Amino acid sequence: MRLWGGRGRLRHERLQTILTIAALATAVALPVVLLSVGGGVSAHELNDLENAGYQIVVSAGGYHGIANAHRIAGQILAIPSVTAASPVLSVAIDAFLGTGQAVPSLAEGVIPEEFLPTLGPTESGLFPSPLPLGDPTDAVHFDNGTYDGPATNDVMVSSPLAQEYHLAAGDTLLLGPSSNESQAVRYNLTGTFGVPLGELGQTGGFALLLPLSSLQAMTGLSSGPGVPVVDAADTIEVSVGGSVATNPSQLDHVQQEVQGVVPYDSVSTLSQEAEQLQSASSVLTGFYLALSSVGITVGLVFLTLVMLRRVESDHRSIGIRRAIGVPGRLVVGGVLVEGATLAALGAVGGVVVGYLLVEALATWSTGAVQEAASLAEFVPLTLAELTLAILGLSLLAGALAARAALRLDLAESLR
Amino acid sequence: MSGTSVPRVELRGVERTYESGKADEVRALRGVDLVVESGEVVSIEGPSGCGKTSLLNLLGLLDTPTRGEVLWEGESVGGRTDRERARLRLERVGFIFQRFYLLPTLTARENVELPMRALRTPRAERRHRADELLREVGLAGREGAFPHQLSGGEEQRVAVARALANRPGLLLADEPTGELDTANTDAILALLEQVQRDRQATLLLVTHNPAVAGRARRHVRMQDGRISSDVREA
Repeated sequence: MRLWGGRGRLRHERLQTILTIAALATAVALPVVLLSVGGGVSAHELNDLENAGYQIVVSAGGYHGIANAHRIAGQILAIPSVTAASPVLSVAIDAFLGTGQAVPSLAEGVIPEEFLPTLGPTESGLFPSPLPLGDPTDAVHFDNGTYDGPATNDVMVSSPLAQEYHLAAGDTLLLGPSSNESQAVRYNLTGTFGVPLGELGQTGGFALLLPLSSLQAMTGLSSGPGVPVVDAADTIEVSVGGSVATNPSQLDHVQQEVQGVVPYDSVSTLSQEAEQLQSASSVLTGFYLALSSVGITVGLVFLTLVMLRRVESDHRSIGIRRAIGVPGRLVVGGVLVEGATLAALGAVGGVVVGYLLVEALATWSTGAVQEAASLAEFVPLTLAELTLAILGLSLLAGALAARAALRLDLAESLR
Repeated sequence: MSGTSVPRVELRGVERTYESGKADEVRALRGVDLVVESGEVVSIEGPSGCGKTSLLNLLGLLDTPTRGEVLWEGESVGGRTDRERARLRLERVGFIFQRFYLLPTLTARENVELPMRALRTPRAERRHRADELLREVGLAGREGAFPHQLSGGEEQRVAVARALANRPGLLLADEPTGELDTANTDAILALLEQVQRDRQATLLLVTHNPAVAGRARRHVRMQDGRISSDVREA
């Protein structure tokens, strides 16, 4: 819109233009990062739920989680149409791999025979079947809750851990509940398992899989001399067979039966879990937007001030245009177009900056930040909506400046 | 009151007071009566602050009187909306200012095209006309120059070309040579005279320079917001 000055004007006020676009781009980059990473993580978790091999999950709060896990899993397994009930205990332990230092790792204790059927199609391909952990039912060592049976002391390690420390089946390794090596117990490495591929390839998860009772015994979450039986697990994942898995009302019925077994624990279906996750995700998205609105508001206030300043500094040019007879609507249109152009450049710049920032985090950061960044999803519709929202709000900034332009005293502005 | 004909403009009992009712109230015009016939060349003379520019602004519909009437072709324009007044200015008035007032971000050609763009003249036509006008004012070959690349005389020539863009019948020039040297002053005045003659336009020249005023055939002198004399040359 050369009637206002258009591109020529943007060039003329180059530094002001660059600063305005930079301010808006910074304001827009934050929601781009938050929404893409948050959305990506939520989508990933939902995908995991949708692809899980179990349909019902039992969970409990408290330090020890579910007590009497072996007995409860057996009772759930006795419910018709239940095909597997897999208690899972996750504990951070230390592995002593001959390096002189303890390697923190996440250990999962499972009943081998029950664990595999609860894996989804993607995960099940990462594990050998059957699991080479001896004692498939974990009944021998558990020995009706006495833990007096002979332990196999078998363990599997994740492939990143095996690669990092050059471990292979047949090796032995020391595992302990703390960094004190004297408390560690010698285990036989019987195999490895893969970890899910992320966008950057394999995630660097150092994980171990061992029989539930072995992990309970190692970490003290079991009976010992004079200690009451705990038999702890964090969750019990329950698979159902046949059409029950896809029939909501039948699944609800099984859920109620499971609830009858564990009246004081939480029992939910995966669809309920997904709903809760989506609900939490919506709350988070709202929080992200609220957080971002602060930056966007500051950016738009800056844009408004710049536009008002431009009208003020350009009062003579506006006066000349209006003196010549250029209609007010064209002057207003010019101001609005200029504001919208700055906002559009800022919004697009913000999307680009946000994208590059997420890529940088995924490439150069570490740990959870890197993992979350690598899961980021850039949804074109969301980005377009964000850009349109910025454009819409920029019209407000432009309208204030346009109003100021129209209120200029013609004769005064030409003095 | 339509088309691009040369209007007869008239002020009747016009007063213009700035900051009316306030302590720093300024009475720029005090009961001015003036009729300018079509095709006249009129100089408005007088010392600084006597109301010359205020009078010109009222005639050119840039301002409205505090009291009295402005008439174009015998018809009051007081009741016209801002949009209608802007339309009249666009189609029928050409303004030339002392400080040229070219738009710095536009080239000479774009400055000349500006009024035609506002009138939605087709691109090819307005470009052709802008180049023709620039050639007419002696700036052929300088169409792409920005104002800061032009001399003062050249800038005022562009301003004249811009004022003529929509073929106005009324040319209002406020100290058009106030910032020019003698050579450029003569050139611009000659140009305005030629334009006025060729187009039979009405030309009002605000000036306190006797040499400029001498080019007019009617001399309106102002003093303290009033017309103190109005002399037509034989």
